[in-house]
Amino acid sequence: MEFSLNEDQRALVEAVDALLARHAGTARAIELGPSALDVVLMGAFVEAGFDRVALDLDPLAAVLAIERVARAAGAISAGASLLVWPMLKGEAAPGVTALVDPARSFLARFASDAETMLVLCGEEARELAASASAPAVESNFGFPLGRVPEEEVAAGRSLGPGSSAHLERWWRLALAAEILGSAGAALDCTVAYLTERRQFGQPIGAFQAVQHRLADCAVRLEGLRWLVYETAHQSAPREAAATTAGLAAELAGLIHRETHQLTGAIGFTHEHDLHVHTMRLKALELELGGAGAHYRALARLRWSAGA
Amino acid sequence: MGNPRFCAKLEAMEFDWDAADQRFREELQAFLAEALPGHWGEISKDGPGSEAQLSFSKAFCGKLAERGWLTQHWPAEYGGNDATPWRHAILGEEMWAIGEPRGSQYMNVNWIGPTIMQHGSAAQKALHLPRISAGDVLWCQGFSEPGAGSDLASLRTRAEREGDHYRVNGQKIWTSYCNGADYCFLLVRTEQGSQGRHGLSVLLMPMALPGVQVREIESIVGQKYFHEVFLTDVVVPATCLLGEEGGGWNVVTYSLAYERVGAARYARAALTLDAIAAHAAKTGRLSDPAIQEKLGAARAQCEAARLLAYRVIDLRANGSAPTPDTNIARIAGTSADKHVGELALEVFGFDGLEYGSEAASNFRLAMTAGVAVGATEVQLNLVASRFLGLPRA
Repeated sequence: MEFSLNEDQRALVEAVDALLARHAGTARAIELGPSALDVVLMGAFVEAGFDRVALDLDPLAAVLAIERVARAAGAISAGASLLVWPMLKGEAAPGVTALVDPARSFLARFASDAETMLVLCGEEARELAASASAPAVESNFGFPLGRVPEEEVAAGRSLGPGSSAHLERWWRLALAAEILGSAGAALDCTVAYLTERRQFGQPIGAFQAVQHRLADCAVRLEGLRWLVYETAHQSAPREAAATTAGLAAELAGLIHRETHQLTGAIGFTHEHDLHVHTMRLKALELELGGAGAHYRALARLRWSAGA
Repeated sequence: MGNPRFCAKLEAMEFDWDAADQRFREELQAFLAEALPGHWGEISKDGPGSEAQLSFSKAFCGKLAERGWLTQHWPAEYGGNDATPWRHAILGEEMWAIGEPRGSQYMNVNWIGPTIMQHGSAAQKALHLPRISAGDVLWCQGFSEPGAGSDLASLRTRAEREGDHYRVNGQKIWTSYCNGADYCFLLVRTEQGSQGRHGLSVLLMPMALPGVQVREIESIVGQKYFHEVFLTDVVVPATCLLGEEGGGWNVVTYSLAYERVGAARYARAALTLDAIAAHAAKTGRLSDPAIQEKLGAARAQCEAARLLAYRVIDLRANGSAPTPDTNIARIAGTSADKHVGELALEVFGFDGLEYGSEAASNFRLAMTAGVAVGATEVQLNLVASRFLGLPRA
């Protein structure tokens, strides 16, 4: 057991952070608007070779990069492009990648801008033709959304028997890593605000009623952190991936609720950074059916519970 | 907070057990299969303070000590084997998973011994460490008082220096395992008129001294789980003072950092959860999506608690001073334990109300999890100030 990063992983995190400092951040996210892809950031990521870290280093390195992108509110398909596609296909993603779960919805994050799409479809996952297009849908949940036409899904190429399970486990891990990053950023910005903002003669963050709620968020966030890293290190076994995604989805809801409640009215405004992270958290919470779906999957996998 | 505070080290982040650790776990499991009698369930039914379990635990710890396992993570000079904290964590997981047959001795091994190593005189080390390491001594912890629970620093038990001894007067409460204990790790006020954390000292007090009177407080948790300890003109030799006079708060802070992760509650909770799922399967409820979601959520909590405990062990293995990660791990561990305890009763239903049933036993012990060793609220205070850096009121 060793919880420290190795040199490669540390160097990667530093390099990713340096690039994000130039090209991402909440100011950039607000400038782009709540449903835009950051073409510049995506290009910079590919140019730096970060789209290959899952292959050149390991899945844990990709997860660390995904978490950093989400922390910096980078508007790129980090989870799908940096982890899911490379682990499924054994090659770097062609660019912006969308993941589609048509049993629940034909709306998918990044589908409107995707160069490639992977679809959960029964037992066999599908890859959609590069020419497939998904009209953009207006949304202010922090991600570009597209509606994938049913006929495009039907025309997709099968990735073979059992491929849906693979897609799903990597997707769950990538999703959890994104939630980890966004939740960390939302909590940080709430703690910073509550340390500054004074009412009743003291910082709001000095009230115990407030402190306990933030501390509870931190405990859950740190638990998720190590679970995400361990699951990545183990190459996302199905049960561990469902466990991690369930915990992540639960945390996403909690952080959204608590940070907005504690930050008060300013947190709803475009003047404050909080919404950049929390609106994404809500979208991420719902992906793949939310905590309930992940936990049901976990129960089925661990205890052979029937559907 | 937020940024993973990784140490600069060359080893890879690594979540696998090495082969030697894995072998140790297997040996330990084989030993337990042999050393725990078939009626272990019956022995442990009334809780760790019961006469039946106390006497069993003493003999059991002797067997662990014979194999060099009881204090293997201690330095060799104190009767250990210089094993890594990971090795001791494996022991803790396997012990908790089956209901902690070490009984109260996990305290001796996890924090009383290490605190004596850190703060004890040569004579105290020579007296106490070999006995703890051999597993033939029982200790209890004399911290809480009727007026000093979560606010431990407000304690009032007095120890007045009279030449070569202290005269101790006062009362301790909620003390576990003091029936049968040979020594008490006793926190007292040695500077009369002092307040708060100042003027406190730790005495390693023999329980057999005249003036020490123990009374059981009957409770819903188990037999002889809580006690009051009345101290009336107890003459304690000054050689029992641990560390400096007046330096008791530092000693206790050191010991609590070790105590708070000593109990691998997540291991017990995870096994209980498997039993709950098996029961749900048997009764046809495992296909109920609502039950599946509850089981899954509880499992995720156990897994998070496991990794947070590992994080603390990792910091210790790398020589780090105690950090608020200890409080985080404690909160996660106790809340997972309570969550599973409640789910056990929910799934077992009325069958779980029978005394001695797995559900009832787990529920009873899990109930105390957020209260013992510093209430969850105190831990949350510490996370707020030390981990999140929030301002104090």
